[in-house]
Amino acid sequence: MPSVANPLPEPADARAPVFRVRGLARVYGEGTAAVTALRGVDFDLFRSELVVLLGASGSGKSTLLNQLGGLDSPTHGTLHYRDWALGTASEPELTQFRRHSVGFVFQAYNLIPSLTARENVALITEICREPMDAEEALRLVGLGERLDHFPAQLSGGEQQRVAIARAIAKRPAVLLCDEPTGALDVHTGITVLEAIERINRELGTLTVIITHNAILADMADRVFTLSDGRIISERRNARRGAVGELAW
Amino acid sequence: MLLLDRKLLRDLRALKSQALAVALVMACGLAMMIMTRSLILSLETTRDTYYREHRFAEVFARLKRAPNSVRDQLAAIPGVATVQTGIALQVTLDVPGLDLPAVGLLNSVPEHGAPVLNQVYLRSGRLPVGRTTRHELAVGEAFADVHGLRPGDTISAVLNGTQQTFHLSGVALSPEFVFEAPPGSALPDNKTYGVFWMPYKELATAFQLYGAFNNVALTLAPDASEGAVIAAVDRLLAPYGGRGAFGRANHPSHRRVDDEIRVLQGLSIAFPLVFLSVAAFMTNSVMSRQITLQREQIAMLKACGFSNAQVGAHYFKFSLAIVVAGTGLGSLGGIVLGHQLVGMYHLFFRFPRLDFLLDTRVLVAATLISALAAFAGVAGAVRRAVRLPPAEAMRPEAPARYRPALVERLGAARWFSPSFRMSLRNIERRPVRSALTCLALALATAILIVPNSFRDGIAYVIDFQWDIVQRQTVTLSLVEPGPARALDDFRHLPGVVLAQPFRYVPVELRAGPVSRRILLQGLPARGTLSRVIDARPQQLALPERGIIISAKLAEILRVRPGDEIIAKVLEGEERELAVPVAGLAEDFAGMAAYMEWHALNRLLLEGDRISGAHAMVAASQWGEFLRAVKNTPRLAGCVVKTSVREGFRQTTAESIGLLQKIYTLFATIVAFGIIYNSARISLSERARELATLRVLGFTRGEVGAVLVGELVLLTLVALPLGLLLGSGLAAGIITTVNTETVRLPLVLTPANYALAVLTVALASALSAWFAARKLADIDLVSALKALD
Repeated sequence: MPSVANPLPEPADARAPVFRVRGLARVYGEGTAAVTALRGVDFDLFRSELVVLLGASGSGKSTLLNQLGGLDSPTHGTLHYRDWALGTASEPELTQFRRHSVGFVFQAYNLIPSLTARENVALITEICREPMDAEEALRLVGLGERLDHFPAQLSGGEQQRVAIARAIAKRPAVLLCDEPTGALDVHTGITVLEAIERINRELGTLTVIITHNAILADMADRVFTLSDGRIISERRNARRGAVGELAW
Repeated sequence: MLLLDRKLLRDLRALKSQALAVALVMACGLAMMIMTRSLILSLETTRDTYYREHRFAEVFARLKRAPNSVRDQLAAIPGVATVQTGIALQVTLDVPGLDLPAVGLLNSVPEHGAPVLNQVYLRSGRLPVGRTTRHELAVGEAFADVHGLRPGDTISAVLNGTQQTFHLSGVALSPEFVFEAPPGSALPDNKTYGVFWMPYKELATAFQLYGAFNNVALTLAPDASEGAVIAAVDRLLAPYGGRGAFGRANHPSHRRVDDEIRVLQGLSIAFPLVFLSVAAFMTNSVMSRQITLQREQIAMLKACGFSNAQVGAHYFKFSLAIVVAGTGLGSLGGIVLGHQLVGMYHLFFRFPRLDFLLDTRVLVAATLISALAAFAGVAGAVRRAVRLPPAEAMRPEAPARYRPALVERLGAARWFSPSFRMSLRNIERRPVRSALTCLALALATAILIVPNSFRDGIAYVIDFQWDIVQRQTVTLSLVEPGPARALDDFRHLPGVVLAQPFRYVPVELRAGPVSRRILLQGLPARGTLSRVIDARPQQLALPERGIIISAKLAEILRVRPGDEIIAKVLEGEERELAVPVAGLAEDFAGMAAYMEWHALNRLLLEGDRISGAHAMVAASQWGEFLRAVKNTPRLAGCVVKTSVREGFRQTTAESIGLLQKIYTLFATIVAFGIIYNSARISLSERARELATLRVLGFTRGEVGAVLVGELVLLTLVALPLGLLLGSGLAAGIITTVNTETVRLPLVLTPANYALAVLTVALASALSAWFAARKLADIDLVSALKALD
């Protein structure tokens, strides 16, 4: 188990899974009020992969993403991040995990309204080790020109790209995206997805996108479909489709 | 119960700690208002009833001696309703168990029947009247309490040179001595000064005054002019050594009670208003937030057909609940504290009984004021809420617009961390709210400065009066002014190392239309024992010609050094002289005037005469000295400096100590309430932002720092502002205490400032910590959810 003070170790074997999930279950509440959100999920996720978790509302995809991101702990089953038992980690350990290893992109962007684009990114680069420069992160998402704009001065797509820059500036091992285009029009959504895809390709970051939009499946290496808390199908694309070629 | 009211109850339960914080601040203001106004009512009612029932006189005069026949002439003065004459004399007492000699003021009571004016109230025993009552005295309650004296106990007094033992017949009170203190003293010294009553015949005989009087009390007929009566009395008594008549307003006991009421009046307005304004601001911020959070509910209610009035009333009821809680707590607090303070007044003022009377009018007024304040606080927010069209209210509020803070625009940005910038920009985006939070905290700091500055002022007065001005061990006074050779007798008392003379003469000082009657003190030009000190504080040498007066007296007479004032001698042969004001002396109790001793005697056309002497006594011979003093017949009094000083210190420490505790508690509640409320509102407004930071890997401590950073900044600005406000408030309130009988210097010490800063900082830190603990309840997963 990593100590809170030390970054999580790189695996000895580069082909070893980043996440190893076995029999993962999550039940909320107790007795007659109990609600089962996940009912035994098994999978491995690897470095450089772009994975899409597809599912309708209530399928359990958000619960699964929360487990992977260290925001919630499973009721049953095991969840390993590399060799570390993420599923049984303490609250301070989870905080360190999120701080150094995971980048989040939310549907509602969740930018700090009182900070400019550059500062929203810098906020994170200040607390993690070996971050990239805030401006460099913003350039990677194509926002090198709008560094000093506040969220209220940016369009939805631009805000989401700031959120992506903020997520990747820490050079995370994992990028978790929760409906990243959910609040955007098609054109803007494409720009955002291109940014995510580029990060995944250029930095080799394991990227997990959850969405109910099946069209996004074509841009993934692998696609898991969830329903009623279970994985009902797994598909591997022979070739990742370019974002611009997705059939909207 | 209406369903909306059920919602109200549940909303209140959810907001209970914030509502309680507001109610507590409101309660502090109300408690203070109810406490002070009720104390004023209690004192005024008790005083007026006592005066009326015991026939307190309206005009008073002292003289050397006049035959009883003059009494009819007094009664014949137009405008005089009732006259009472008698004898009042100071004697030295030997009290069992007290190693110091004490001073007793003996007042005569008629041989038969009750006095017509200034009637005595008997606490226990009886008055010393009737055939069998030789060697009996009734004792004033304050003196009896301090010495544990009861009817039947004995006490020795030196009457005109002869030591006599008296039995105490009873313990009594009189409207003349509600404030039972030596003339000119701001605080009672009940250990060495007491008031007594004895039969006229016995007292008059002892002092060869039988068939005569030296003390007059009068009441006035309706529509009589007090000034005209006083002038007529003065004319009539002048040949008999009249020392000047005066009205009730100048009666020392009455004036002291009046001054106390004036001080309470000063406190009863400024302080409560501060608290109620803070409470109104807090109600506004809580309600604004509540209404913002319930935007969608308001829209739903309106969409379902509830009228604007119904929705508005619902939120007004919310603040009404806070007002009800605040009024309840405040009334209770005011009544409890009022009872305690009434007990404290018993230390100063002696009434047959002093009960706490609740000023119900003020209770109603205070409730109305706080309800108005709360409603004014809520009105804006409610108006915004009901004006919003339902469709618009259903949508979330537009994202907040920010811009770089002023200090950043000035180029300081590069030194600031992002979280510091967040705090700065949040403050600047809500300038009014930030300013009001800051002001409220500054007021909390300011409130703490006041009672401590009182305490420090009193400590200064004690040091000034008894270290700088008075350096003698004792003050010995003669029954009657005597020749200067009496000074040699004092010098030969055992243990006396140094003795310096003084001569006291009652005078009226006049400048234009304003005049005051005081004791003019003749002292050696550069005395080393009782000194005349100015404001710097440096000793003033008494000049060959001219008079030095208290700065307060100069202010009242509207004169400056160099101006001339008229001094009218009120003892012996009446004389009037113009004397130049040579300088101004600093003092804090009563008012004084000083002249060089020889110069004063020349003015009086007397040889070198003295009223007594200030003396320094060797500690090694203290016992011997006291024994000798107790057996010296011509001595009217021996005042021991340390005893007076200690008595003063104890009484003030007790009264100021209680006020200080009350104010400290209230200021702490305000500081706590403000910070807690601001932090909770901030937490509510920024829950999503803070949860996002937690998701992004900020620790709970780091997020807590972001949450309270803004409040820390506001507190940092508020503290110096509070010190400034507090100094101003202390100065303002001390001005209301600046009366002719008592004054306090404005003393602001670094320790006072430090304590205020520390208290507010600690209260802020503690309440911020309480609020930050709520961070643990933030749902991280909710931050991932979309806003729609």
